[in-house]
Amino acid sequence: MRFKASIQNITTFTKLTASLNSLGPLAWVKLSDDQVCFTIIPEQGTQVWAALSIDTIFETYTVQSAANNVINLEVPLGPLNRALKSALNATSAQIRLTKKDSMPLLALTIVTTSSSNSYSAFPTGASNDGGLDAPFDDSFGGGNRETIITQEVPVRVLAPDTVAGLHEPQCREPDVHIILPPLLQLKSISDRFTKLALAGARSGPGSTASRTRLEMAANMHGCLKMSIKTDAMSISSVWTDLSNPELDPGQVAGGEIGISEHPSTRMKLLGSADGRSEEGWASVRIDGRDWGKVMSVGRLGGRVIACFCHEHALILYVYLPSDNGEDESVLTVRDLALAFLITPLNN
Amino acid sequence: MDEEDEAPILTAVSSSARQLYQLLRCINFSEKAHVQISDEGLKFSVDEASVMEGSAFLAKSLFTTYTFRAPRPQRNSQHIDSDEEGEDPDDLTATPTFQISLPALLETLQIFGLTDPNTSKPPWARDNPTSTAFSNNVLGMNNMCRILYTSLGSPLTIILTEATIRTTCDLTTYEPAFSEEIPFDRANLSFKTIMRGNWLCDAVGELSSTTPEKLTLWARTRGGKPYFALSSSGTLGSARVEFNNNPQPSSRAPPPPPPNPSSAAAPDQQPQANLLETFQLGDPETTLRASYKFSLIQRAARAMSVATKVSIRVDAQGVLSLQFMIEVETGKVSFVDFRFVPLVEEDDEEADETMLGDGEASGSDDDDEDML
Repeated sequence: MRFKASIQNITTFTKLTASLNSLGPLAWVKLSDDQVCFTIIPEQGTQVWAALSIDTIFETYTVQSAANNVINLEVPLGPLNRALKSALNATSAQIRLTKKDSMPLLALTIVTTSSSNSYSAFPTGASNDGGLDAPFDDSFGGGNRETIITQEVPVRVLAPDTVAGLHEPQCREPDVHIILPPLLQLKSISDRFTKLALAGARSGPGSTASRTRLEMAANMHGCLKMSIKTDAMSISSVWTDLSNPELDPGQVAGGEIGISEHPSTRMKLLGSADGRSEEGWASVRIDGRDWGKVMSVGRLGGRVIACFCHEHALILYVYLPSDNGEDESVLTVRDLALAFLITPLNN
Repeated sequence: MDEEDEAPILTAVSSSARQLYQLLRCINFSEKAHVQISDEGLKFSVDEASVMEGSAFLAKSLFTTYTFRAPRPQRNSQHIDSDEEGEDPDDLTATPTFQISLPALLETLQIFGLTDPNTSKPPWARDNPTSTAFSNNVLGMNNMCRILYTSLGSPLTIILTEATIRTTCDLTTYEPAFSEEIPFDRANLSFKTIMRGNWLCDAVGELSSTTPEKLTLWARTRGGKPYFALSSSGTLGSARVEFNNNPQPSSRAPPPPPPNPSSAAAPDQQPQANLLETFQLGDPETTLRASYKFSLIQRAARAMSVATKVSIRVDAQGVLSLQFMIEVETGKVSFVDFRFVPLVEEDDEEADETMLGDGEASGSDDDDEDML
């Protein structure tokens, strides 16, 4: 069993682990020839199924194992995130799977160049007034110093049988799919809503509502509605002018006919673009705090499509921004990076 | 019964929710606030155990549109509706009063600004560079707020619009609690002074360092010069802040001043920088002394810190009125009022009882102009 790769995009990897860590402490990482999968299945709350193409994070990637070159690991996200943070200023970073005293671990080797300014007593380089000493200074160590840091993250290797039973849950075709506004904007409002609801619960007699019911709804006319109700108030925010991406006949079962029978096509007939109509909304009630955690993935950037199955499920698909200048209006399944399955609250 | 399809009782549009927030934040010390809607504006008032009350008045002039339609007016007040049907008008006042959750209202008004993702970036780095010299956020119009009260018993609706986001908040309206206003006898003042709000704020902040229980207010005229002091006492000791109108080095002893009847009120020299704008004592011969609970006075700290001027008045019963003039934008002022019931004092023995005077309240806030 062998895994070795150099990390190409340290910032993205760090943000990704930080976002995932807010949803659950342990991730099932599946390394295979063509992709890296991060899966988080907490006891309660949102599940994440992330499938990243190798070059999103890694380069010079090798994985070998007896089981079809697939390695399954249980990785603690907190330590991994901390280890990656120390690599943020690195010139290069490598990750590999090793063993130490028969304990499997991911070793992160980070090479940083620390500028000599903070250590040497003399200013170096151009600021030398004589200019004569400069070559001497450089050879003396006045130039850049290389530091190698090794961070070790203990992991558990999972047997193929252990993870064989885990599959991404299937859900019926969504009633509404919509591109969300910037997640950080959504988060700032949803956090305030949650705060409002908790403030209301505190004053109420004997209410131990630790969960805040946030109602999310969307229609096929570019509107997203977020609302919360308490005894003292009910508040809702409506976004308009968002876009509902067109379905690709090649991706939907049944092609053109499949699209014409798709639930979202029916929803298109209802509701209005100003968000004032009562009809045409697909809504899901979720836990406000859980939603706030999911929103932290906003730091990764990228576009987020929310799929609403009315009173049944809410799934967010995050498409990471690609830097190779592709036309961003076309999203294919291949671009899909993360799927968040948000647990709805029962009534 | 045609009220339902008619125009709402109140429609008010403000171009700046932040102004409303600034004023209402001054009285944010209670869960529920009474709201009184009248032709002149909206009055928000809160009280604490009937010994302290605070109110903020959002005058009509703060709003760009303010339409008030009195609900089923009494016979001779307004002629919007002539009441043919013999309805009992006694319990239907022309000024609707109800309670709402004040923290909820404040949180709602704050939603502004949060939603604009562009403010943290320079214009060239923004996602949608649609901003022109006349776009809403440049003109400061991005926090439009609409207040709506449809009919008696309906929720108070706040609608905030910003770019493509519309937030609607329905605040449940509760029946008003039957609490009497703290009576304050304007006609019979024993002390009145006007000073800058932040000076009072500094003084109270200074005194709060010893976490006192009691704040005592002293005022007298000495040698024709006004003297005003705030002293605090508590388990950790006592402190005093004095305000003198003349900035000369004074050699006078700080302990409780004896009544000094220097009736020769000769204005010897006009001091250059007056701390106290107006100084009136009901009886110039005596020293006024009144004590209040310090923790209650501190509730007005927010108002003190933002007010340009404060009028401090004590009536014959010892009730303290603090009226703050707050400049919400240049040239536009609003007023926030506080009233405090004094602590009863008997020979320097603090009694925890409070005393409620029974002087009748004149109820009108028409003496705001003397600070201007």
